[in-house]
Amino acid sequence: MGPHLLKRLGASILTALIASILVFLLVRLVPGDVVAQMMGQAGGEAAERSLREFFGLDQPIYVQYWVWIGNVLHGDLGTSWTRGMPVSDMVGKAFMVTLEIGIATLAIATLVGVPLGIVAAIYEGRTLDTLIQGFNLLGLAAPVFWVGLMLLVGVSSLLSWSPPLRFVPPSRSLADNISILILPVASLALLQAAAYSQFVRQNVVSAMHQEYVRTAVAKGVPVRLIFFKHILRNVLIPIVTFMGLILIQILGGVVIIESLFALPGLGRLLLSAIETRDYPVVQGALLVVVVAAMVVNLVVDLAYRLIDPRLRHG
Amino acid sequence: MIRHALRHAMAGALLCATAFAAPSASAEDLYGPLADDPSMGGTLEMGLLVEPPGLDPFHQAADARIRLSLLMYQGLFYEGVGGEAIPLLAESYEVSDDGLTYTIKLREGVTFHTGQPMSAEDVAYSYNYIRDPANGSPGAGDFSMIESVEAIDPTTVKFMLSVPNASLPMTLGNKYGAVVPAGYFDTEGAQNRMNVESVGTGPFKLVEFNPNSNLLLEKNPDYWEEGAPYLDEINFTFLPNSASMLVALRNGRIDLVKLERPQDVQQVATVPGLEVERWASLNQKPIDLGAETKPLDDVRVRQAIALAVDKEEIKNASVGEYGEVIAAMPAGMADGWGVPAEDLPNMSRDLEKAKALLEEAGYGDGFDLTLTTINGYDWMDPAAVTLKQQLAEIGINLNIQRVDIGVWIDNFRSKHMGFTFNDWASQPDPNLLFYRHFHKQPEGADFRNWNNDEASALLDAGRAESDPAKRKAIYAEFQKVLAESVPTIMLFSADHVTVRNEKVKNFSQHPTGWYFGLVRTYVDE
Repeated sequence: MGPHLLKRLGASILTALIASILVFLLVRLVPGDVVAQMMGQAGGEAAERSLREFFGLDQPIYVQYWVWIGNVLHGDLGTSWTRGMPVSDMVGKAFMVTLEIGIATLAIATLVGVPLGIVAAIYEGRTLDTLIQGFNLLGLAAPVFWVGLMLLVGVSSLLSWSPPLRFVPPSRSLADNISILILPVASLALLQAAAYSQFVRQNVVSAMHQEYVRTAVAKGVPVRLIFFKHILRNVLIPIVTFMGLILIQILGGVVIIESLFALPGLGRLLLSAIETRDYPVVQGALLVVVVAAMVVNLVVDLAYRLIDPRLRHG
Repeated sequence: MIRHALRHAMAGALLCATAFAAPSASAEDLYGPLADDPSMGGTLEMGLLVEPPGLDPFHQAADARIRLSLLMYQGLFYEGVGGEAIPLLAESYEVSDDGLTYTIKLREGVTFHTGQPMSAEDVAYSYNYIRDPANGSPGAGDFSMIESVEAIDPTTVKFMLSVPNASLPMTLGNKYGAVVPAGYFDTEGAQNRMNVESVGTGPFKLVEFNPNSNLLLEKNPDYWEEGAPYLDEINFTFLPNSASMLVALRNGRIDLVKLERPQDVQQVATVPGLEVERWASLNQKPIDLGAETKPLDDVRVRQAIALAVDKEEIKNASVGEYGEVIAAMPAGMADGWGVPAEDLPNMSRDLEKAKALLEEAGYGDGFDLTLTTINGYDWMDPAAVTLKQQLAEIGINLNIQRVDIGVWIDNFRSKHMGFTFNDWASQPDPNLLFYRHFHKQPEGADFRNWNNDEASALLDAGRAESDPAKRKAIYAEFQKVLAESVPTIMLFSADHVTVRNEKVKNFSQHPTGWYFGLVRTYVDE
């Protein structure tokens, strides 16, 4: 397990490095830089030159990268060009918001999606299965922003209520925190629960049709034992893989949901930093996203080994 | 009613003749009407669709910054809605006979948010800082006619100009720069600190500025104006889309918004407890015709396009009833400075004449033309489709190209704007409105490569003239040249549309779109 983990870690670091170069170059491909944004329709050449110098934009790109990555390796993500705040503070705060949304969504999607999928598989071909599949289809087909908007407008007109506008972390007030996050998490969780349920149903159904299950049934093994020992154990691996995929997918959907519900998360931070061409923030935020995705993959990889003894010795 | 108020104010400004010494301002002139019996205290929750990219009035040109920073920072003058510069941190001023020296008497008893008193040294430092291009202010160009700023005594500053400039007081307003403590920018990271603390003299102080969340301001207890402001706090929440903003407005989570898309009014117009108001604006939505693009270099082609455009139809498609068709001045300045459309050439639709002009220019069979529109400017899409239909009637095949704002600004600044929609506003002063955009290079930027000698001469004359009546005549002449040679076709001004909870009282919207009115707003719980 040791050398494998080291290999994975090495590959991850290499990926992060390549990603950092890509991010650095890509963000500079977007036309107009922070100076052009600050100047707007005003400005003169001398003022522009002095601002470019101030931000180090007069340096060649490889020098800019070298300076940046050097600082990053020393744990310094730099200072936001438009806010003047440390990027690590901004990204850290925003990341906690996104992380909370992600974990809450994942938890709800799992708690709703997995049982639904199992029930649908058990009742394969019967009314309950059809109903659950109907829900899955709806959840998968409805775009996240549409669900979010409908929830927002619907709840507002039915209950004359909308979520508070200022984000409150759970550490300060759990009740306020929940009332802020309930609609955005519900919008995200609907899609993921549907995807989860569909996926689990397929896996359980196909496991139920396996020959070893048929053999177990023929041998008279109790149904409960067959289900937990043979079926569930086998579908656990794809479920864990899927969990990782979903978490990464949530990171994508969160950009839209954070904008819709005015949440100060990573997605919205990234979007506004791109709009203002605040390169240090874009780079810092994307780096965090890349690292987060890699950590998720790594955790999933480790989880396999715990679940599947074959991999432990492989 | 709004329009009437504006007209009176403007007439007053023009009547006060060639007074070379301006009287000091009374409180009624500043920020908006005073309330008779305001409730003091309380918090106003305001929603903003556009978040300011920063709060630094020296280095950030974004309009979203100006709208808010003027609550914390003040210039020497206030941009009166009628187009006159009203003393703010100044108390009065005198102009020398040659128009090159402005001696400005400062208001006494003004302190910064830091607690230290404001003196002439601070004023001289602040304006010397912003006008030096090495300090990287986008506003530096606006101050380039200033040769020196000196403190004469603790309450007097002297501005020396290289050329006479009647807009100097308006330039010393609240768009760029402000008076800050002398030496403020000497310490490292000072410009970044402006997002964490405020060091101005304004009625509100910065409490906190959280990216993608909110901006909280609190009353400045030491503010120099007696009894102002009325509110204890203003909390601006940044809501990135109008759907969630309208929902928050309905549910009383926010009390006041200015809509970016006036049409959104329909979603809240009938909600009990909400009041919708419309205000004249200084913004304008034009078609720009860059002469670097063939065949727009031919004046006859430009005239033909102007004659084929139906402004009313484009305005209706874009903003419905929430706007005003304009001739050669934004709506907020039309009463004071504008020439009526019927006295200007190429203002009403005449397809026969347009076709004849194209024929004469050698484009009788029509031609292909690309119109640039900007992503995120909602009005441009319906306007583009309508314009395409209108121009098709004289044989011009319009292709519509939608670009990101970054691309558009690059085109604009490199003076390759081609045929494009634009959306801009200025302070209520014709020199500040026209000079930079339309004067030949190098004095102006001449973004449309117009290169018009007659227009440039008029702009120089208008800038130097301090007699309001003569000034008005010069700019009337300029508008005629503009309408005749068509470097731009001003289509319409969109109204400012605000929606407030009925508990919000005495709010008024300044024609610039800036939130001066909040200084006179109170909340009646």
